Amino acid sequence: MKPHESHSAAAQAAAPASSSVDRRQALKTLAAGALATVTAPYIRPASAAPTQLRALMWEGYLLPDVIAGFEEKYKVKFAPTFFDGNSEAYNKLRVGGTKDFDLVQADGFWPSLYFREKLIRTVDYAKMPSTQHLFPVFKPDQYKLLTDEKTGVQFGVPFCWGSYGTTYNADQVPAEKAASIEVLFDPEFGGRLSTSARFEENIALTGILVASRMGTIDKPRPDGKSFNPYVLTDAELDGVEKLLIEQKKLLLTRYQDNATLEQLLASGAVVAAPEFAQVYRLLLAKKAKGEIDTTFAHTLVPKEGGLGWVDTWLVSSGVPDGAGLDVCQSFIDLMTAPETMKKIALASGCSTTIDIRSLSTPEEQKLYLMDRTGELSKMYMFDQPSSTEKWERVWSRMQAA
Amino acid sequence: MKGRWSGPLLLGVPTAFLLALFVLPLVSMVVLSFWRTENYHIVQDWNLGNYLTLATEGAYVTFLVRSLVMASLVSVICVVIAWPVSYAIILYGGRYRLLFTLAFAVPFLTGEVLRVIALQGLLGPLGLINGVLMALGAAPLRFIMYTNVASAIGLVYLYLPIVVTVIYLSLLNFDARLIDAAKIFGASPARAFFEITWPLNLFGTLIGFALCFIPCLSATLAPRFLGGPNGTLYGMAMAQQFGESGTWALGAAMGVVLFLTSILAVLAVCLKVDLRRTGFTGFGRG
Repeated sequence: MKPHESHSAAAQAAAPASSSVDRRQALKTLAAGALATVTAPYIRPASAAPTQLRALMWEGYLLPDVIAGFEEKYKVKFAPTFFDGNSEAYNKLRVGGTKDFDLVQADGFWPSLYFREKLIRTVDYAKMPSTQHLFPVFKPDQYKLLTDEKTGVQFGVPFCWGSYGTTYNADQVPAEKAASIEVLFDPEFGGRLSTSARFEENIALTGILVASRMGTIDKPRPDGKSFNPYVLTDAELDGVEKLLIEQKKLLLTRYQDNATLEQLLASGAVVAAPEFAQVYRLLLAKKAKGEIDTTFAHTLVPKEGGLGWVDTWLVSSGVPDGAGLDVCQSFIDLMTAPETMKKIALASGCSTTIDIRSLSTPEEQKLYLMDRTGELSKMYMFDQPSSTEKWERVWSRMQAA
Repeated sequence: MKGRWSGPLLLGVPTAFLLALFVLPLVSMVVLSFWRTENYHIVQDWNLGNYLTLATEGAYVTFLVRSLVMASLVSVICVVIAWPVSYAIILYGGRYRLLFTLAFAVPFLTGEVLRVIALQGLLGPLGLINGVLMALGAAPLRFIMYTNVASAIGLVYLYLPIVVTVIYLSLLNFDARLIDAAKIFGASPARAFFEITWPLNLFGTLIGFALCFIPCLSATLAPRFLGGPNGTLYGMAMAQQFGESGTWALGAAMGVVLFLTSILAVLAVCLKVDLRRTGFTGFGRG
């Protein structure tokens, strides 16, 4: 007997068998309890209504009051995870993210890539009445990027749209200069320029300028297709690298978020920067309130050509038919309802794919490009780089130069 | 607690923890570094291509050199600031010593991202420093706006509390009577410091240095938010491989190189310093 075992054998024998618990039993009970506790949330019938709705999305589209109302109505907890660029979201989905997320956002050609790789599933527009309010150019019969060519089924709902145009300080930068991508490489504005930290759009936008300068933008392409700034030749990529290295000394910084760019533009530290027009609209709103004096303008599509995007709501392939899909589609329906879209436009500064003209003033209609949706066809849609490895080397060499 | 199972259990739990959360991820990273990626797809094709790229492509060597220089400078600055601060707390802190030390730990209560963004606001064109200067009619300080200097300030701000805490703990366990003994035998305060206090707290100082140097080597946030166009460091470039560019295999190789560099740095310090004379007691009394 060990010193700390104080009970006598007689006392142990006298104890009722049913109440005696040995160490092995206690450990078994504890282990079973722990296992049950850990696994309980995951052991649910597939058809059961979900208790959580997990979204992989852009942060700017989060509306706390709308989300709270949805949570209350459907008794689900909305759990967002934010990303910055499409490739980041794609990476997350590819490494098992279809089990971690119910809703996903993407833009341009990315949703069709997701669908080809079975990362997202089909959706039913009939279950989302808000889609009836889509501008004609975003309806499935005209906007083909969210429809499967073979089966004709839809796998996403357009949400917001825009370009990667140039917002500039109209007091400092002449409009004719701002009409070209060249303004972002103009030594006259050295130290007062900024671009985003996203490598894809920096390379693609510079690619348009390089192809324009080289005269290859209108020439036959090696792949037999028309020019796509996301499919650049090696010679064009070399030109992009040189131009980006030249541009680096002209930049104050590469902004990480819209709030930073807004501050830089408002303070006058930066006079021109490519962005999604969200900051431009926020600055105009500030000017209207008398918070700033500077006049800002925005070039939607530069004369050499520009990048465009249509953000979409997608449902992950991990969501089965039934209650899970219903909740996802109800959420998309709520987010694309005209009243919600109006709030999103005001909060994020985005143009909407839903026609909210009846809810908007003439100034808002002009500001949010509600009558310029047709210009989308002139833009190159966001896409996957033809070789991420080559693009990464270009970006790294520029960063190290 | 000295049962038959207590030994294996007490050692087994941390061993399992280390195996699961350190060794396995490290092994998987090493394996991945010998594969390759092609447009966001991992190709299980064993090769040395990633290491060849790191050795021959000047950009990655530049990032590593920049990071080594930045980490060394920041760690030295942290130690130089932390020593007098810790020493002052020990000498003059009295019964408030613990409070002073806890005060240094307060920044840890907020997230690292928050602290870096707050600093971005402080050092930026509209920040407190430049805002005041411009309000007074002076020119803004351009060298603290999106530069490597701004990154260094950010890293010192992030890691100084760790170095202060470590050196304070080292000094707390130091027997101050040894200084009195040295003085009794005629040593000046400076000589007593350099021959008694400094060498006997060198191990604690080295731990503080290492705890600052290693995370600085892989720093991502500070250079990203404060560094500007010329501020890309190795950790930031490595994070890019796992983020938007999706070149995970190259990123894994960068991770392996970073791990080996950190090990080599620590080994180099250990070889140069006689640990037995630095207050290190880990060798036992043999």
